[in-house]
Amino acid sequence: MNPFRVALAVARKDLRSEWRTREVVPALAQFIILALLIGNFGFQVDSRNAASIAPGILWLALVFAGLVAFGRTFAAEREQASLEAMLMTPASPVAIFAGKAVAASLLLIACEAVMLPALSLFFGTPFSADVVAAVLIATVGMAALGCLFAAMVARVRARELLLPLLTLPLWIPFIIAGGQAVQSAMGLPGSYSEAISLLIDFDILFLVLTSLAARFVLDE
Amino acid sequence: MSMLVADGLTHRFGSERALDNVDLVLDTGEHMAVLGDNGAGKTTLLRILATALRPTSGRLTIAGLDAFGERRRLRHYLGYVAHAPGLYPALSARENLEFFCDLQDVDRSRVDEALATVGLTSVSHRRAGELSRGMQQRLAIGRAILHDPRLLILDEPDASLGADAADLLAGLMHDRTAVLATHDHALANRLCPRTLVLRHGRSLGTATHLRVVR
Amino acid sequence: MNRYERAAIGAVALMLIAGAAIFFYAPTDYLQGPVQRIFYLHVSSAIAAFGCFAVVLVGGVIYLRNESPAADRFARSGALVGVVFTTVTLVMGMLWAKTVWGAFWVWDARLTSTLVLWIIYAGYLLVRRLADPGRQAARFAAVVGIFGFVDVPVVHFSVTWWTTQHPGPVIINDALPPQMLATFLFTMACTVVLAAVMIAIRYRIETLVDEREQLFDPAKVLVAREPEPVQ
Repeated sequence: MNPFRVALAVARKDLRSEWRTREVVPALAQFIILALLIGNFGFQVDSRNAASIAPGILWLALVFAGLVAFGRTFAAEREQASLEAMLMTPASPVAIFAGKAVAASLLLIACEAVMLPALSLFFGTPFSADVVAAVLIATVGMAALGCLFAAMVARVRARELLLPLLTLPLWIPFIIAGGQAVQSAMGLPGSYSEAISLLIDFDILFLVLTSLAARFVLDE
Repeated sequence: MSMLVADGLTHRFGSERALDNVDLVLDTGEHMAVLGDNGAGKTTLLRILATALRPTSGRLTIAGLDAFGERRRLRHYLGYVAHAPGLYPALSARENLEFFCDLQDVDRSRVDEALATVGLTSVSHRRAGELSRGMQQRLAIGRAILHDPRLLILDEPDASLGADAADLLAGLMHDRTAVLATHDHALANRLCPRTLVLRHGRSLGTATHLRVVR
Repeated sequence: MNRYERAAIGAVALMLIAGAAIFFYAPTDYLQGPVQRIFYLHVSSAIAAFGCFAVVLVGGVIYLRNESPAADRFARSGALVGVVFTTVTLVMGMLWAKTVWGAFWVWDARLTSTLVLWIIYAGYLLVRRLADPGRQAARFAAVVGIFGFVDVPVVHFSVTWWTTQHPGPVIINDALPPQMLATFLFTMACTVVLAAVMIAIRYRIETLVDEREQLFDPAKVLVAREPEPVQ
C-alpha cells in the first residue's frame, strides 16, 4: 500500500475534524496573543529594545503553542480510542505518524499566521519574508520531534507533565538557531544565512531520526 | 484446519497478572464465546487475539502465521471490534468508514455495503459524535468488516446494540471464524457452540453449550 | 562477602587513593590556587557520565533491534549512574566557576549542553517510571536515550556557534605539567572503574526486579539468573 496515500488520508482526516470543530487553532491563536501581551508587560518593550526582545517573545510563545498543538493531536486520538483502530489496519505506522505530524504542523502554521503579523503590529518589528521563512523552517523539525514525543506520552501516565520535559531540551537547537535567524532578520548583528542553513541541517537530522524511531513509539 | 492457536498466553500489568497461561484452539468457521466477570481478563485476551496487544509471554498463531511476527499481513484476515468504538466524532458515519477504507486499502464502494449490513444507511450523513451509543457501536462493527475479514474478534459488541443484536451478530459471524466476549449467557449460547470461561485471568476450560450456574 | 560487595569496597578504596593523589601528590596551580584541584574529579566524572550514557545508547539500540531484556537492564543502570555523575560534574563545576569566573553559572556551550544532558536523562528515568513497565517502558526509554545522545552534541554545537567561555580540552595540547597529568589520568581511571562497578551492581538489582515482576519473557529472565551457591 502506498504510504503517501495513507499519510494524506490521515492528514486530511485531522484537518477536516479541526475545520468542523475549530477546537485547536482559535484557542491557540488567542493564547499566542496573550503570550505577546504578557511579554510586553514582562519586558517593558519600547521602540529601542523591540528588535532584541521580540524574537525571544516570539520563540517562547511558539514553543508553548507547539507543545499544546502537538500534544492535542495525539491526546484526541487517545481519548477517542481511535489510534488503536488506525494501528489495527495494515497501514504503516510511520505513514500514520507522518500524516498526523503534517496535520499538526499545518495547525501550528495557521497559528503562526496570526502570531507573526501580531508581533510586528504590537512591537513595531519588521514583518519580512526572512522572519516568516525562519519560523517555517524551524517548525518542520520541531513538529517532527514534538509529534514523536506527543505520540509517546499519549500512551503513558502523567502525559501533560512529561511532554514538555522530553520535548523542550530537544528543541533547544531550533530555538538557538531560530532565535539568531529572527534577530538578524530584525536588524541585529549576526549571519542570517548561516542560521538558516543550521536550521535546515537540524531539520534533516531530526526528520531522519524521527522517521526511524516512529515505528517503535507507535507499534505494540 | 485451525484458524487460531494460542499457547500459554500470559499478560501482566505491573505485577498483576491480567491473563494467566491461557491455551486455545479455534477451527476455521468455529464460533467461540468468552464469558467472565468484569476484570476477568476478557478484554486483555481479545486484544491479544486481535494482535493489538502483545502478550508478556506465550505464542499465538493465526491462519498458520506467527501472529506477532507477521501481524501486518494478518490484519487483512482480522476484524476487531474493540471495547470503545474508536470513531472520529466530527466526521460523518460515511466519512469515518471511507477513511478506514483508505487505511485498509480497500475500495470505498465497500462503505455502502458495510452501512447496509449494520443498518446505518439512513443516518450515514450524520456526524459520529451525534449518533446514539448503539449506532456508534454499529458503526464500529461496520468498520471491522470493511475488508471482509475471515476472523472476527468482538469485545462485548452487544453492550448497547438493543433488541436485534443477536440477529445482526449472527449475520456477521456466518461464514467467518469468530471470538465473542459477552456478559449475556443466552446470547453466547445462541451464537456460539463453544464457550471459554475466564476467572482472574485463568481459563476455567472450554465447554460446549455450557450451562452456567450462578 | 559476595563479589558485588568486594567490587564496591575496591572501587571506594581506589577513589580514596585518587583523593590522596589529588590533595597530596598533585602540585597547586600557581594561577588559580587550591581550587584548581576540583578539575581532576570534575572532568573525570564528566567522562564517566558520557561513558554511562554511551551504555544507555548502545543498550537502547540493541534493545530496539532484538528486545533483549539484558540490553535494557544495562541501559537502565547506565542512565541512573550517568545522572549521578552528571550531577557531580555540574555541582563541582559550579563551585569552581564561582571562584574562577565569579559566577556559579554562565550560558556557555559546555555548561548548557551538560545541563541539557542532565535534563534529558532525568526525563529518561521519568519515562521509565510512567510508561507501562516491561516492553513499553523499555522501548520508549530507548528512543529517549537515542535522541538524548544525539541532541547533546547538537546543543553543544549550536551554543559554540554562538559564543563560548569554557576552556577547551587542556589534556590533548600538553598544557598540563606531568604530575598533574598523572593525577588526572589516575583519577579518571578510578572514576571509570567506580562507574562500571555501580552499573554492575545496579544491573544485578534490575535483574532481581525483573525476575520478581517477570515483565519479560520468563524463559529469558531465567537465563540471566546466577547458579545457586553449593552448600
